[in-house]
Amino acid sequence: MIAINKVSKHYGAFQVLTDCTTHVNKGEVVVVCGPSGSGKSTLIKCVNGLEPFQSGEITVNGVSVGDPKTDLPKLRSHVGMVFQNFELFPHMSIVENLTVAQIKVLGRDKPEADEKGIQLLDRVGLKVQALKYPGQLSGGQQQRVAIARALAMDPICMLFDEPTSALDPEMINEVLDVMTELAQEGMTMMCVTHEMGFAKRVASRVVFMDHGHIVEDDLKDAFFANPRSERAQQFLAKILHH
Amino acid sequence: MYEFDWSSIPGALPFLVQGMYISLEITAIAIVVGIVWGTLLAMMRLSSVTALSWFAAGYVNLFRAVPLVMVLLWFFLMIPHMLESIFGFPRGSDMRLGSAIAGFALFEAAYYSEIIRAGIQSVSKGQMAAANALGMTYGQSMRLVVLPQAFRNMVPLLLTQGIILFQDTSLVYVSALADFFGAAYKVGDRDGRLVEMLLFAGAVYFVLCFTVSQLVRYYQKKLKTA
Repeated sequence: MIAINKVSKHYGAFQVLTDCTTHVNKGEVVVVCGPSGSGKSTLIKCVNGLEPFQSGEITVNGVSVGDPKTDLPKLRSHVGMVFQNFELFPHMSIVENLTVAQIKVLGRDKPEADEKGIQLLDRVGLKVQALKYPGQLSGGQQQRVAIARALAMDPICMLFDEPTSALDPEMINEVLDVMTELAQEGMTMMCVTHEMGFAKRVASRVVFMDHGHIVEDDLKDAFFANPRSERAQQFLAKILHH
Repeated sequence: MYEFDWSSIPGALPFLVQGMYISLEITAIAIVVGIVWGTLLAMMRLSSVTALSWFAAGYVNLFRAVPLVMVLLWFFLMIPHMLESIFGFPRGSDMRLGSAIAGFALFEAAYYSEIIRAGIQSVSKGQMAAANALGMTYGQSMRLVVLPQAFRNMVPLLLTQGIILFQDTSLVYVSALADFFGAAYKVGDRDGRLVEMLLFAGAVYFVLCFTVSQLVRYYQKKLKTA
């Protein structure tokens, strides 16, 4: 579904990504982790072309992201993305957040988009909030709306960029629950996250990054049982101790 | 001691109202055209196409570096000639109002574009990314997501600029166009009561502008608490 082949990126002289190669098969959940500044967010933003990269190739469902001839808006319309800071549109009601792209990008008519939007809000447990505005919701609720907004486009895969990092601790689980459910239904997912509990529960594979390199790319059990690199061992020791 | 005599005001009211109508007409059209053209300029300025951003920067810098009254005079003198020679308009037709509106709109667009550019930049980059991630094109993202938020933040500044514009319309007196100020001046000159008429005109400008600026302040407060 997603194939990343020898992708490198630099800002001026600063190398952000070096020869990154990995993939996400259909139905797989791949968790990308690593210390901050390791390039994981940049990598996931390259997948839907939000960040350009200088060399290598990324294909999503066979379509090359870096090819200038690729219709990026079209590609992005069926790749869902959830951001660290939710990025709901504050000037629109919750239900409008879910319908605007359905109507303007997919060309659905309003009743159809509304129905789909309400159905997805119900699914993330926020149907009663449909007419409120993002500012009136808690962070966890906003992030669940953001997931529903991405799902409203009927995506073929979902990208999560640190979806719980901006949340208060007591709100993390409500978001992870929605993500877990999604994973169990067979959604293809690539998640940048520090939530190792989530990774242990649902990940197929874990990719560990450091300084712009993919250091490990292994099946979940193998990664947690005995990480091969010293860097990953240190990382896990730090993050699993509490 | 100077003796005030306000008696020429009541009789002149219809003429003054007509003048106010012209002032408001120039203000309204210049605001609308200025904001539309200013938005386009701001988007050009922020565009990654160098030619567009240079053009917008040049335009803005040019108009911000010359006095408004001079721009107005250029337009008074140039537009009639241009229309005569290009479209064969009859010589001597009165285009003072049209050229005043054109002059104000193009001049104000330079100021509006700077306000709008700051407004666009005040919307977080993540909003553009989120709109793009949903498959919206650049144009859709701007129109549906970024600009509505930018304008909401900018309304107070845009209105304040509108108040300044309204005051500046008095400069059309250089073409002897009877806007409110021009009308008041003409009446005062005719009746030998210039001081009274100008005091009266000043009071009217003050009441209007002060009222609107209080409304802007009220709106600003509401925006902050929202």
